[in-house]
Amino acid sequence: MDISGLREKIESEISRIANADDVKQVKVSILGRKGIFAEYLDKLKTLDKDKRRDAGKAINDIKTWADQRVGELEKQFEEIERRKRQAASRIDITMPGAAPLFGRKHPITLTLEEIIRIFSSLGFSVAEGPDIETEHYNFEALNIPSDHPARDMQDTFYINPGIVLRTHTSPVQIRTMEAQLPPVKIIAPGSVYRCDNDISHTPMFHQVEGLMVDKNVRFSDLKGILTIFIHEMFGPGTPLRFRPSYFPFTEPSAEVDIGCVICGGSGCRVCKDTGWLEILGSGMVHPQVFRNVGYDQEEITGFAFGMGVERIAMIKFGIDDIRQFYYNDVRFLSQF
Amino acid sequence: MKVPVEWLNEFVVIDVDIEDLAKRLTMRGLEVEGIERITPRFTGVVAAAITKIEPHPNADNLSLCSVNTGKEELTVVCGAPNVSVNAKVPLATVGAELGGGFTVGKRPVRGIESYGMLCSEKELGISDDHTGIFILPDEIAPGTLLAQSPIAHDDVLDISVPPNRGDCLSIYGIAREVASTLHQKAKLPVFTLTAGADEKVEDHAGLTIQDLAACPRYILKLIKGISIRQSPFWMRRRLTRCGMRPINNIVDVTNYVMLELGQPLHAFDFERLAESRIDVRVAGERSTFRTLDSIDRPVEPGDILICDGSGPVAIAGIMGGENSEITASTTNMALESAYFNPFSIRATARRLGIRSEASLRFEKGIDIDNVGYAADRAMFLMHELAGGAVFSGQREIFERKEPRTIYITYSNINGLLGTHISHEAVTRALRSIDLHVMKEDENGFTISIPNFRHDIGETSDVIEEISRIHGFEHIPDTSPVTVLKAQKLTIKDRSLNTVREYCLGTGFFEIINFSFFSTRDIELFRIPDDDERSRCVPIMNPISRDWGVMRTMMMPAVLKSMAYNINRGAKNLRFFEKGKVFFQDGPRNIREETLLCFALTGKEKEYSWKEKYTDYDYFDMKGIVEGLIERLGANCEFSPATEPFLDQGCSADVIIDGVRAGWTGSIRDDILKAYEIEQTIYCAELRFDIILQKGNLTLQYKPIPRFPQATRDFSFFVDDSVPIAELVKKIKDISPLIVSVGIFDMFRKEMRSVSIRVVFQSYEETLTDERVNSLQEKIIGEMTNIDGISLRA
Repeated sequence: MDISGLREKIESEISRIANADDVKQVKVSILGRKGIFAEYLDKLKTLDKDKRRDAGKAINDIKTWADQRVGELEKQFEEIERRKRQAASRIDITMPGAAPLFGRKHPITLTLEEIIRIFSSLGFSVAEGPDIETEHYNFEALNIPSDHPARDMQDTFYINPGIVLRTHTSPVQIRTMEAQLPPVKIIAPGSVYRCDNDISHTPMFHQVEGLMVDKNVRFSDLKGILTIFIHEMFGPGTPLRFRPSYFPFTEPSAEVDIGCVICGGSGCRVCKDTGWLEILGSGMVHPQVFRNVGYDQEEITGFAFGMGVERIAMIKFGIDDIRQFYYNDVRFLSQF
Repeated sequence: MKVPVEWLNEFVVIDVDIEDLAKRLTMRGLEVEGIERITPRFTGVVAAAITKIEPHPNADNLSLCSVNTGKEELTVVCGAPNVSVNAKVPLATVGAELGGGFTVGKRPVRGIESYGMLCSEKELGISDDHTGIFILPDEIAPGTLLAQSPIAHDDVLDISVPPNRGDCLSIYGIAREVASTLHQKAKLPVFTLTAGADEKVEDHAGLTIQDLAACPRYILKLIKGISIRQSPFWMRRRLTRCGMRPINNIVDVTNYVMLELGQPLHAFDFERLAESRIDVRVAGERSTFRTLDSIDRPVEPGDILICDGSGPVAIAGIMGGENSEITASTTNMALESAYFNPFSIRATARRLGIRSEASLRFEKGIDIDNVGYAADRAMFLMHELAGGAVFSGQREIFERKEPRTIYITYSNINGLLGTHISHEAVTRALRSIDLHVMKEDENGFTISIPNFRHDIGETSDVIEEISRIHGFEHIPDTSPVTVLKAQKLTIKDRSLNTVREYCLGTGFFEIINFSFFSTRDIELFRIPDDDERSRCVPIMNPISRDWGVMRTMMMPAVLKSMAYNINRGAKNLRFFEKGKVFFQDGPRNIREETLLCFALTGKEKEYSWKEKYTDYDYFDMKGIVEGLIERLGANCEFSPATEPFLDQGCSADVIIDGVRAGWTGSIRDDILKAYEIEQTIYCAELRFDIILQKGNLTLQYKPIPRFPQATRDFSFFVDDSVPIAELVKKIKDISPLIVSVGIFDMFRKEMRSVSIRVVFQSYEETLTDERVNSLQEKIIGEMTNIDGISLRA
């Protein structure tokens, strides 16, 4: 069998390769089922054993060489093709992207969620109550007597005598304690209402009330919990102070101030030159409140606190007019 | 309450700077809200003593005053009539500035050189008085620079006194707290009241009290021969700095002593008291009484009235009567110093709408043990300022009140506060505010509560005092010792989180509106009278008519929010609101319900270089509703809308398990117009509580099929009488192997042509072509059997 000329034949086939399509054709014509090698290998079968081995080896060597050669060319032309495709589909990567549709939460919701997250992580559960309350739950049960100035029509929206729009979320304290025995560990977020409408007051706003009642709950625990809250909410370095105050339903009562975030404590218009911003009210639950819900005030103690959500949001986001929360202006909402 | 530090200094030695003092008070619970710095407008004015007064040789109405400044003797020309030898006066020396750019120079007046100028109060800018030269108090030494004296210099603390601390509504009351922080004791003014008249009060005036519960203490004092005039500068200055207007020496003294000691006083013209007597009565019937501001006030049973022999002369603790007030010609005066029942005064003051400085103090409770001292103090000052002669003695009725006592243990204190305050520190703290230990044992002690502390009634009140004085900053921060419990999250909370996530993901902006609206919104929305949404809960005292009732729908406010933005140039909006609505179910029965509200208008985006956006339509809103309800684990259907405010034909009621859970669609354009909106709004209002009942948030895994799906497309002509949803449902019902039926094309020529893609899936085997083909035939067979449906070739 004559295999001289095989290599030349293959070489001449390969040499006519000029593009990726040629590679495919040549692959078929050389290596395909009816290709040159197939033809030669068929012929091998006619040879006797000894000759067959030598010729077979020679053909295989050529085939290995051809495989490699065609493979190289294939890669080469594929790369050329890829570059061509890429060039054809070139884009200006600085054109604007197609922005996905994405909603926004109201900043009050964002702030509420953050407050709830922090107290949830400290084991407080969320409780709720109605917006339309009885005077009993809104005032009397909280030790706010009927001749207290807070009960003037100037401050409270009345539905009818005895029924009001709740002026704080504190009634939820009473409802919760009436419904369960200690220990109690709740926060109560919600809308509250007062007859006011100016740059720093809206007739409806939001509060979060907190209550923890158990054996041996101490004033120092109140300080501890609220310090954790403020450092989570406003950052670990935030200066804060507890200042004696008065609320009818707590005693001792404390107002909590944080170092003014605007001026850093040196005094400015926002903090009225005091360097401090009032952030929440708190205190130990007044024994009269426990008596009102039938808890044994000799056995248990507790603390309560309440904060205005808008106020916290205003401080956190630097908003200077509370009414912004209720215009629902997309130029405002889209910032959160 | 305004507290001039110069005045405060009379009761306690302030040996810290003002900022420190303010901080101490604030941390004691008496928040200093501001410090008003009073500074002089003038320079170069010194106190000078007049040594000689001579007439001006060239002018009748001028005089030549020789004044001594301590250093030199100067001649000054003066036109005021009230100068006298030895009087101390303010001398603006040559070069002095009196504000407004006015500089005093050496200048001749009618030919005589004047070395400066004597000043009135107005010229110094310390009051409006320009009637004469300001006569300085005797104790000021000649040469004193007036700019540095209290005359022109002070710091006024603005203190927010908590409502339960009526005892701090006086300079002395504040001084008690200041003294406690400075480890001192506040000192009361020392004076000696001498009776200059021979007459005794008891010989000339009578006093009775009808009800000792209404008025447990009343003192009546008399002075004769007084002259009513302007008070001296020092008194006017203090009153003005405290925010009160000086009137005359007698009225000013009553106000001064009230500010000083917290005891409201009232002065009567004694000659005008019929039968020279005072009877304290509780009104038994309605009447009217003319107060000194010439207004007829209604008197109700229960009001405390101060009466003379012929009838009322004052409403106790609130305001005196026109019939007995001090006038310029009053010479004999009767002084009232009394304690009235706080609750009674508050009720009367509230009813009459009068909140005077006096009623404010009576309401909060004054010091019953200080009524006599205050009366003496006032008589002393009146005599000083108005002359006359004080009658000896007084008329007094006094129902004495024993101080309360409270027993408290150290473990009460430290247990509640979380502290380890020593026994000594506890009693020392209490002593500093006049709470004295009477009895002591190893566990605790009994203290007596002075009558001026109306706020201390039980142990927690005492613990509050100890915590305040100990200082909140010295109480540690601790972690509560408590049983660990997982915090509960209700289905409602979890569903709400899902709703918020969904809205965020679908591009809605959350908005929040007030819970009130107007009955006009109900009318505009054409809600019929028998609809529950017409049964609004009205507010008795609304801020405005626009917010007169509690809302029963959220859409009106959402429309207003949209209009607000559209008016400001935003055309494409997607809004979402979660909120409560309120229904008056019965006369005493109010129901609150939570709604979810959606609205969209315009298109997804105004423009894009990449895609073309079309205007939102009914199906965009419907898809949002379907997706949300599905996400909450419920299934909904849509039936033609029944709402009167929606466009019929492209609006629907949303039904879950046969219950109406809300509506979706477009608002009628005549209603939109009333809200000043001119573009179509698609919206939905869903009753969250119903979705919660029907929904299910439990997630349950279903194995992913191991066998391939098969898909077949169909095209039918469908008559308008056949709703597509029905057709889809019928196909689904044909076989459990049909897992999805979708519409991928719809157009209308003479008839609707609908193209449907059906997906087949088995969990047990690979579906053979034969099997799928037979299902396909079944679908075609069943569909074309329906009237109005035919297969499109």
